[in-house]
Amino acid sequence: MPENNSDVANEVLEEGNSQVYELGYLLVPTIKEEDMPISYGNLKELVSSFRGAVIADEMPKMINLSYTMSKVISNVRNKFSTAYFGWVKFTMDSQKVLELKKNLDLDPNFIRFLILKTVKENTIAAKRFIRGDIYKKPKTKKTAENETALPINKEEIDKEIEALIAA
Amino acid sequence: MKQDYFSANNIKYIDYKDIEILKKFLGPNGKIVGHKRTGVTSKNQRQLTSAIKHARFLGLLPFVIK
Repeated sequence: MPENNSDVANEVLEEGNSQVYELGYLLVPTIKEEDMPISYGNLKELVSSFRGAVIADEMPKMINLSYTMSKVISNVRNKFSTAYFGWVKFTMDSQKVLELKKNLDLDPNFIRFLILKTVKENTIAAKRFIRGDIYKKPKTKKTAENETALPINKEEIDKEIEALIAA
Repeated sequence: MKQDYFSANNIKYIDYKDIEILKKFLGPNGKIVGHKRTGVTSKNQRQLTSAIKHARFLGLLPFVIK
């Protein structure tokens, strides 16, 4: 029984130290599109090697950067105006995250990366649907107005036809 | 009085990746618009500024629009 108790205590401690983190990163655009899944898989493996549990993630996508960034790779200053942007959300021990950061600092494939504390819930998708509904509403009203306008035209046409028949 | 955009849309966590929302709070030169003009609550304004700054760091938003 005492052993079980100590196990439970350890688990609680581990849970207490673990936090939800998000790693946003920019990869160098020199990587080929075909090789992208490989470096993406390597990153996920790296996260799980530090006892991290991936909650959500997105494949790196090529984006145009808002400003040019420079990074010195093997004593050559490289300038980038495009990059692959991706992110991973995971839970990890707070001590292990520092080790992960040190590991990523040495990786030449990264232009920049950002590790943030975050929440488990995904907020992006829900917002977009709400906004979509708001924009759709005025359109439906316009079509309703057009439908009401049509019968008036029909009556006018009927009158014109009757006038023609009478003539 | 203008209402807080984030409480009106039930947004609890302001994400740095949601550029379309963050762009609403940038001026013509790319500066962050103050809470007096946007009506965002102090708590959300603090979250908003850090989200914009994180997005700028990763090149998703510009520091300056020329």
